[in-house]
Amino acid sequence: MLVVPLLLAALAYALWRVLAGYPTPSERYGTLARHEVAFVLAAADALFPRGGPVPPSGADAGVPAYVDRYLAAVPPLLRFLMRCLFLLFEHATFFVAAPGSGGRRRFSSLSPEQRVAVLDRWRRSSSFAMRIVFTSLRAIFTMGYFADPAVLRALRLAPYAIETPIVEADLLYPPIGRSVDEIRFGPQDLGPPSDGRPLDLDGPLHPAYAEGGRS
Amino acid sequence: MTSVPAKGQVRVFADYDRDVDERCDVVVVGSGPGGSVVAKELAEAGRDVVLVEEGPPFTPQDFEWDGGRSMTRTMREAGLRTTRGHVMPTMQAICLGGGSLVNSAICVRSPERTLAGWCSDYDLEHGSRADLDPHYDAVASFLGIAPTPENVQGPRNLLFKRACDALGYSSEPIARNVRGCRGSGECFTGCRSRAKQSMDLAYVPAAIRAGARVLTSARVERIAMQGRRATAVSGRVVAPFRGTPSWRFRVEAKTVVLAAGCMATPVLLRRSGDLANASRQVGENLQFHPGTAAMGVFPEPTHPQFGATQGYQSLHFVGEGFKLETLWTPPALLAVRVPGYGLELKRHLAEIPYAAEWDAIVSTNRSLGRVVSRWRSLDPVLHWNFHPEDFRILARALFVLVEMFFAAGAKKVVHGVHGLPDEFHSIDEARTHERRELRPTDIVVAANHAFSSTRMHGNPRHGVVDELGRCHDTDNLYIADTGVLPRSPSVNPMFTAMAFAHRTARAIAAR
Ligand SMILES: Cc1cc2nc3c(=O)[nH]c(=O)nc-3n(C[C@H](O)[C@H](O)[C@H](O)COP(=O)(O)OP(=O)(O)OC[C@H]3O[C@@H](n4cnc5c(N)ncnc54)[C@H](O)[C@@H]3O)c2cc1C
Ligand code: SF4
Repeated sequence: MLVVPLLLAALAYALWRVLAGYPTPSERYGTLARHEVAFVLAAADALFPRGGPVPPSGADAGVPAYVDRYLAAVPPLLRFLMRCLFLLFEHATFFVAAPGSGGRRRFSSLSPEQRVAVLDRWRRSSSFAMRIVFTSLRAIFTMGYFADPAVLRALRLAPYAIETPIVEADLLYPPIGRSVDEIRFGPQDLGPPSDGRPLDLDGPLHPAYAEGGRS
Repeated sequence: MTSVPAKGQVRVFADYDRDVDERCDVVVVGSGPGGSVVAKELAEAGRDVVLVEEGPPFTPQDFEWDGGRSMTRTMREAGLRTTRGHVMPTMQAICLGGGSLVNSAICVRSPERTLAGWCSDYDLEHGSRADLDPHYDAVASFLGIAPTPENVQGPRNLLFKRACDALGYSSEPIARNVRGCRGSGECFTGCRSRAKQSMDLAYVPAAIRAGARVLTSARVERIAMQGRRATAVSGRVVAPFRGTPSWRFRVEAKTVVLAAGCMATPVLLRRSGDLANASRQVGENLQFHPGTAAMGVFPEPTHPQFGATQGYQSLHFVGEGFKLETLWTPPALLAVRVPGYGLELKRHLAEIPYAAEWDAIVSTNRSLGRVVSRWRSLDPVLHWNFHPEDFRILARALFVLVEMFFAAGAKKVVHGVHGLPDEFHSIDEARTHERRELRPTDIVVAANHAFSSTRMHGNPRHGVVDELGRCHDTDNLYIADTGVLPRSPSVNPMFTAMAFAHRTARAIAAR
């Protein structure tokens, strides 16, 4: 008779351990839940702590906001799988503790050294599946980090400004979301095609990546 | 020459306000390198052509330079599609122009030996290089295919040449469908210079000029047949990026050409009542060119953001089953391979401006997969496994790349092989690991060249289409994507698929 209430209690405890006790994020996120934000912040800063040759940390570079937008942009099944990935990573240390004292806590509650040790365990695992999980997770965070213009500028990898010639196709298709009636160009706008001049490495940066550009 | 299209000749998502019913001589499904060649050639031959494409047209305003975000917009399944069995990423574009919008524009003719092998192994009578050359020539002259000029190679491409020269391997600037390249290395996210002659800029406008109608954001879901004759295609208008279905459309045609890509065409055939499948070969024989890349770090800056995306190649080892190329990807995707965490990772990232990335692609003729339909979806399930012999070629190719980096003066090489040190600091260090038995899961592979899922065969019992791309079981249903290649073309597949598509168009026009 006692089994059912005991099972329910165990379930409630497990849910509480998994989902409760997370701080309210300082920013608003459209897709990420509170517990996901905590995990993303912890993992982003473990991968990309502040300082070193590229100053911004994962959080400074806006990785959580990027992951939030990225999740919204991928198809529903992939979004679900990514969320499972975050959940798995966040709670795997309940089952296989991180090294050091207090290692049987959620990933986001571990010390920075313990987080790095956990990441390393995933990466060097002899299991291909675990390595794939790690690689997928790292890929999302790295894309987020590199979406920050400040990071790209620090690495001298920001794109350059390029004058885009008006070509015949511009008379045929409007920007996505617009109707063909809204095409702004006519035959009189056609310019000379690209002249093949090599990119000027001292030239200005792409406006969205220049200092003060879109972040 | 330019002409302003007639009202309704090009339709984009925002233009549809009711169900669409069209009639024409030829409907072409898919506007990638295969489909757009057919559309242009037949429109110029005086046929009334409708080209149907599921993706939207992209203008420079729609390009996203950020690699991750770009993939969610230009690629199916947000660019995260993988095979099952051996898990390997593989991408297919969803946009006007198909793969040509995001690819590196590499155009290489299949070697004579490869094509001769196809003729003997697949009962093809007119598949030699001499037979195909006129079709290659026609595509090359229309697209201005030419070797990448020296002044836009940039150091990371020229170091590859230096390595080949030092080791006595042949190498050459890559011929590409590009006019006026500025060396921005951003072919993957869209050429802002409008230099890359992707299909949306070249073949599709020419088709429109010749009178073709183009329906974009229109997903074909079914092919209708009457006996041996295809009579129409039908489907739904879909919102860009989300794929949410809205209006219905139907295009009746005297001839139907499928060019939805080798991962999509088999699904369409299956969903339409298992068409053209008396041979049971639809969706079978799926092949890839699995590729792996390594990054060399040099003492001097390589200014890697300058230079043609893929400017140099070596065909030296094609006889052994692999091809070597230079490569550049958006920094976000490149950085995924950089080892380490925390400040150590950042130190490695700071070396990217001193780096070059080169890749090897492998002809894996023994590693056959299949395309399977997914429940209530047009996205395919792809099964594929590495044959041990093919994997051995890949492992060897990777070590050749490592050797080349050191020959070009690299101070270290990052290879991404599991179980080995993260970096090699000398060729001697690399050699101590060369003999180690590696497993397919130890090397990071990806494959963006896919083909052979509706292969060509002279014998209707062993292949889906004949030499001209017509499905054996039908009178007027053709396939014109990379699915028709009987097996690996030994080099990048786009040019050969376009040559075949050109021949298919000529055959339809002659009927
Ligand atoms: C990143 C990348 C780089 C590459 N680089 C090179 C290179 O440099 N050189 C080279 O030779 N090859 C390269 N490739 C491969 C090359 O792009 C492909 O082999 C080529 O695009 C295949 O052409 P296709 O016409 O067969 O199919 P696709 O290019 O896939 O075109 C098929 C089209 O059909 C549309 N479609 C699919 N289903 C439907 C449907 N149901 N209804 C309507 N439309 C549909 C798709 O949206 C797509 O636009 C690369 C591929 C990638 C992804
Ligand atoms: S390297 Fe740059 S300029 Fe050249 S074709 Fe590619 S995107 Fe265009």
